[in-house]
Amino acid sequence: MNLSNLAQDARIAAASLRDAAVGTVNPTVRLGVAGLSRAGKTVFITALVNALTKGARLPLFRVHADGRLIGAHLSPQPDDAVPRFAIEEHLLAILDERVWPESTRRISELRLVLDFQSESLLGRLGPSRLTLDIVDYPGEWLLDLGLMGKTYAQWSSEAVALSRTGTRARFAADWHKVLETNAPSDPESEAIVRNSAELFTDYLRASRTARHALSALPPGRFLMPGDLEGSPMLTFAPLDVAADAETEPGTLHAMMERRYDAYVSHVVKPFFREHFARLDRQIVLVDTLAALDAGPEAVADLELALTDVLTAFRHGGNTWLSTLFRPRVDRILFAATKADMLHHTSHDRLEAILERLVSKARQRAAFAGAEVDVRAIAAVRATREASVRRGGQELPVIVGTPEPGERAGGQVFSGEEEVAIFPGDLPEDPARALAPEGYRGRGDTEDGDLRFVRFRPPASDDGRLPHIRMDRVLEFLLGDKLA
Amino acid sequence: MASMQTRPPAAFRLDDESLVFPETGEDEAFLLDEVEMVGNLPVVSTPVKPRRSPLKVLFWASLGSLVSLGIGLAIANLIEDLFARYAWLGWVGAALAAVFVLTCAVLLAREAIALRRLAKIDELRAQADAVLVSDSRTDGLRVVGDLLSFYASRPATARGRAALERERREIIDGADLVRLAERELMPLLDAEAQRTVAAAAKRVSLVTAVAPRAILDVAVVAAVAVRLIRQIATVYGGRPGTFGFLRLLRHVLTHLALTGGMAAGEGMLDQLVGHGIAAKVSARLGEGVINGVLTARIGLAAIAVCRPLPFAAQRQPTLRDVAGGLFERKAKD
Repeated sequence: MNLSNLAQDARIAAASLRDAAVGTVNPTVRLGVAGLSRAGKTVFITALVNALTKGARLPLFRVHADGRLIGAHLSPQPDDAVPRFAIEEHLLAILDERVWPESTRRISELRLVLDFQSESLLGRLGPSRLTLDIVDYPGEWLLDLGLMGKTYAQWSSEAVALSRTGTRARFAADWHKVLETNAPSDPESEAIVRNSAELFTDYLRASRTARHALSALPPGRFLMPGDLEGSPMLTFAPLDVAADAETEPGTLHAMMERRYDAYVSHVVKPFFREHFARLDRQIVLVDTLAALDAGPEAVADLELALTDVLTAFRHGGNTWLSTLFRPRVDRILFAATKADMLHHTSHDRLEAILERLVSKARQRAAFAGAEVDVRAIAAVRATREASVRRGGQELPVIVGTPEPGERAGGQVFSGEEEVAIFPGDLPEDPARALAPEGYRGRGDTEDGDLRFVRFRPPASDDGRLPHIRMDRVLEFLLGDKLA
Repeated sequence: MASMQTRPPAAFRLDDESLVFPETGEDEAFLLDEVEMVGNLPVVSTPVKPRRSPLKVLFWASLGSLVSLGIGLAIANLIEDLFARYAWLGWVGAALAAVFVLTCAVLLAREAIALRRLAKIDELRAQADAVLVSDSRTDGLRVVGDLLSFYASRPATARGRAALERERREIIDGADLVRLAERELMPLLDAEAQRTVAAAAKRVSLVTAVAPRAILDVAVVAAVAVRLIRQIATVYGGRPGTFGFLRLLRHVLTHLALTGGMAAGEGMLDQLVGHGIAAKVSARLGEGVINGVLTARIGLAAIAVCRPLPFAAQRQPTLRDVAGGLFERKAKD
């Protein structure tokens, strides 16, 4: 525990106190939507807001089903320095153009106000109001949260070791060549550092292509720099050093370390402090299917990334003291997104695999007293279900319009026609999804055991979006606050 | 859905003939499920039945046969005698005997149906309990399907049934389906049952307060309790006959015996305080309250036994809900 951590904690405590004071008059829930890139954060937030403001089919969301929810509307966000979440644009893209929103490049914020009548004694006094603050951000940045607890030497040795395993070694070959020529004790040089950082970034970019779908690729700003493009803070790379190596002033090692520390304290920590340190509820969106599509290596990598990221959060039950100074996330939902790419009979297996992936974080949170749930969901359901009877066998299939250029079974789809897809059976034993050679993924061969086709958003006439288990999610995350 | 090995991915065109949408094929699937379930029934219910020794079976069977032989003989003799007196009297006797046999058969059939309905309720509750634990969607759908057909003849549940009918096509997990069914179908019935219990409790307390003899109290409580149990069974769709009622009575008493201790803890304070105030006003009033509470408790046990779903999404009514009125009224008077 050093001085900068203390300062960080003090700032968080001060902000929490302010929130608690405001919260007594105007109850607010800060909902943390965590998810790596392409997990579906933007679509989830869009669908959530749309469902609440337009009144979708939400039979399991009690306050809505009981008729106690009066309405929900967007309201000016509290933080003027942060851009507003472009909900209208995203909705337009999904409903009119039937394309998914583009990947998020910067942080944005949204405030939703729910008017409802409480069932408790409070309800007799009249309607109540709950404010919901939601933040959207590029999922790549979330990877950085794992860096907060690590020194440069620790991170460096881990990153180098990881880059020498499996498929990564192939992508990192160029960077490895430079790495060998640069001794940590060489004198510092901007040219060497810049070259090294570029090659390192190339390796990270190559690893996350859809076909291989690797996830554990910090630092996140290397992939999605935002407004920090070209800054010296983003110009560093791991060196081949031991985890407990000491630095000599003026060396390459010292220069890299300085920049890494600057990155952590000026980029990562403020990001965490502003948006994650004071969450009440959290949903962790995981695109399990993309990793499953790529193969066991990608799934194992996803587990690594998630475990690393989730250690940064504080989960557990709250006491009145912790509510004042450092509230903890007391309900956390792990959601396997895009469950509409599968027939519902496979959802149990998908949930089992996700449970296996987040088992460490899950146990930790449950042990600390937080309520934990794992669900397969689809914020926007793009498919229907059907079955194919062939040769005495019945195959559960999903029907939807694949995105243009998607391929399966030797066909390339135009993006206009509807097709029925059977994506393959998920492994029954979740451990097999992570085990090397557990099954054949698409990362290794063209015809893997699983093929998840991406579909275009559904056609909707009334502005409402079909979903899978969104009501269940809302009930778990907000149900008790709206009781 | 037991898949032995993994099946490879596949893509089909929409004009593929082997493609079936559940929107059209679903009802058949549900029918199939139901047939399977009815086939399973005896297996489910046999272990619940108490074991009978073959000796006892023989005893009761022979006794029963003797008695029915005797009755049959008596009737036959009677008709013969009647014929011996006057022919027309004999015909009247024969006609009456025929009517008697027919009504007996109809009554027995109705009893059997009523017993079957009660068994169905027990079975539904057991299945719902199992689904709440296992969260299996297929089993949940089965419970919902059964509930829908069970309440198909209750107009008051029409809206809830329509909503359930819609939702069961969506992707909802088993336990959630059961909770949803409870929320859609039960509230109206619950309210009616609670009203019935509260009214019965009030009636008992009033009658005991004015009844001159203690023995009358007992008679009144017993009569009201019997009526109450029947009413509640009817509210939840049980409609018990005579044998059904005896069976129900046994269930209610067992339930009371099992939960009596717990329930005593939950409402004891209320009762003591309420009773204390009422007793200060008048000793008879105090006894009235006690009898009312007893009736309310029997009513609660009847609700727990007759409701086809466990209390999972809805709050279980407590003594305060159904007997709360007793104390206030008495204390004020």
